[in-house]
Amino acid sequence: MDKKSEKELVEANDETLRILIADDNDSDRLILKTIVRKEGHTVYTACDGQEAIDAFKKESPDLILLDALMPNVDGFEAARVITELAGDNLVPIIFLTSLKDAASLADCLAAGGHDFLSKPYNRIILKAKIQAFARMRRLHETVQDQRDKIIKHHDHLIHEQEVAKVVFDNIAHSGCVDAPNIKYLLSPMAVFNGDLVLAARKPNGGMFVFLGDFTGHGLPAAIGAMPVSEIFYGMAQKGFSLQDILREINNKLKRILPVGVFCCTCLVDFSFRNETAEFWLGGLPDVFVYRKDGTLENFRSQNLPLGVLSGDKFSTETRVIPMSQGDRFYMWSDGIFEEVNEKEEMFAEEGVRKAFEDNNDPEKFFDELIEAVAEYTNHAEQDDDHTIVEAIMVAEEDLGEYFSESDSRSLIGGPPDWAMSYELRPLTLKEFNPLPLLTHLLMEVPGLRPHSGKIYTILAELYSNALEHGVLGLESDLKASPTGFAEYYGQRVSRLNELDVGSVTFHLDHKPWENGGRLTIRVQDTGPGFDHGDKDDNHKTEGYSGRGIPLINTMCESIRYLGNGNQVEVVFVWSFDG
Amino acid sequence: MSGNPEDHFDMESLEDLKDIMEEDFQMLLDTFIADSEAKVEEIGSIISGGDAEALRQVAHSIKGSSGNVCATSLSEIARQLEAMGKDGDVSGAPEVYEALKVEFLVVKDILLNRI
Repeated sequence: MDKKSEKELVEANDETLRILIADDNDSDRLILKTIVRKEGHTVYTACDGQEAIDAFKKESPDLILLDALMPNVDGFEAARVITELAGDNLVPIIFLTSLKDAASLADCLAAGGHDFLSKPYNRIILKAKIQAFARMRRLHETVQDQRDKIIKHHDHLIHEQEVAKVVFDNIAHSGCVDAPNIKYLLSPMAVFNGDLVLAARKPNGGMFVFLGDFTGHGLPAAIGAMPVSEIFYGMAQKGFSLQDILREINNKLKRILPVGVFCCTCLVDFSFRNETAEFWLGGLPDVFVYRKDGTLENFRSQNLPLGVLSGDKFSTETRVIPMSQGDRFYMWSDGIFEEVNEKEEMFAEEGVRKAFEDNNDPEKFFDELIEAVAEYTNHAEQDDDHTIVEAIMVAEEDLGEYFSESDSRSLIGGPPDWAMSYELRPLTLKEFNPLPLLTHLLMEVPGLRPHSGKIYTILAELYSNALEHGVLGLESDLKASPTGFAEYYGQRVSRLNELDVGSVTFHLDHKPWENGGRLTIRVQDTGPGFDHGDKDDNHKTEGYSGRGIPLINTMCESIRYLGNGNQVEVVFVWSFDG
Repeated sequence: MSGNPEDHFDMESLEDLKDIMEEDFQMLLDTFIADSEAKVEEIGSIISGGDAEALRQVAHSIKGSSGNVCATSLSEIARQLEAMGKDGDVSGAPEVYEALKVEFLVVKDILLNRI
């Protein structure tokens, strides 16, 4: 025993207890009361069991010395009642008895007594017992306090987790994961899941689908999901590319996650217009494409998971595959692949292939696959988070209008009436994509957010025209043939590298207009321009099909060329009603 | 039967008790005597009535309290009566009861006059 606890014990021994003495025998009670009082304790007395119960209710003493045999209510009955009244609290009861036989003494303990003291009283033993039970009582109080604290902490923790889960679900499972072309299953092992499914429509009408599987389970795994979701949705909405988003998430995770924690990922960019899927796969099992023509292709991960490599070593090289309408893209966390049967064999690729062979209707493949895993493991408890996502290539119209989330918040605050010019010079043109920044800026205008898809498309077309045809002087005719297409992009890269003069300037002007606003976008380049003649403002734009103008034409109020053709001005009028 | 306190009391313990009780010692004696007097009386009527359980209880009480004031002989006689009550055979009780009465008188005398 160290000095401190020794001291505590001495102090504890001096503790004043409140002790109830119940004995029907006057002389016995008097002796006991005198002895106990001399030890410094406060004494209450009772002459029978009922008085003892009443005194207990009134005084709630720390310790009770209870005669076993008393008239009216005897000591055994009183002990039972008092123990019940005390509930969770420990009230040590020492039976006073002149009974000597083992059975009677055992009865004392059976009735809820903690000990017995034989008459005639031995002062030293009485003192020792009082002290022992005072210690026991304190110990019990400590245990109770700690238990209450643990319960409180536990409740607090659960509450926190529930609140956090609401926040988490709002962030992690928002976006368009419920789009008609997506099916997914998330089956977590804990309140929180280490798996993450995100989907977002892109301003240009495409769709990003993200599956992440963090190492580990539960809260630690889920925490990393928060920044991933924020980055994913924030950047997708602003029109950043798949590569930009991957790089940003990788850098973020590399910075915040401890060593050994990372995120196996598949990020797919579905282009419904081009009918392609561009994807990056790191650390997850093979992704599969179930073709409408009844074939199954798989693609293997060629990258390390996100959060492993530092920015300079990280590769955003992707694969682009054609996807016809009705083709299905499958990705999953390794939980499903690594599910083992009773022989400890993994489900893996053979399992998927077998489910594929058994499948007659592609519509049902998703459900059959899940059932196949369950059957394979004989419906045993799962070992890991299971997540599976199916995304189908559809026509863009089938997905409905692109409508960015959280548009209502932009109804309050934000600038409705302003103008700005933004000039991009060669160094910037080489390195920087201004479209996310400009889109982001425009989305600050209250009510404009639902129109971000159109605005992004307009900005993108005008910018690529100004840069490629204006500043770089590329001929749009080149793009007419497949070989010319490659040639065009080859020239684009080399001319951009050599660029040392020239600029593209955006003039943006937004004014409140009727029930909405009027946005004027004027893009000016330093190129030679062209003879726009009578093409101004009359929507006869056949001659410029290479410049994406017809598409813009359907979206805006007016379009006209200015000066020597190196300036184009588009007016976009919008209303809160859409 | 003698009037020697040593024959009726555990004198050493009685001295201890006196020390413990200090100024309350006299009160203890008064309480003991009054209490026991009533109980000895009670036992007389219980035995006449032949209620073995009542005998056991009251004799038990006298056994305890006389033990507490270190009246070892009185306590022992009470124990015999208690045992009879417990066995349900009170046939020998009147004889022992006589001994109890006598012993109580002696104890009372010693406590009141010689301690």
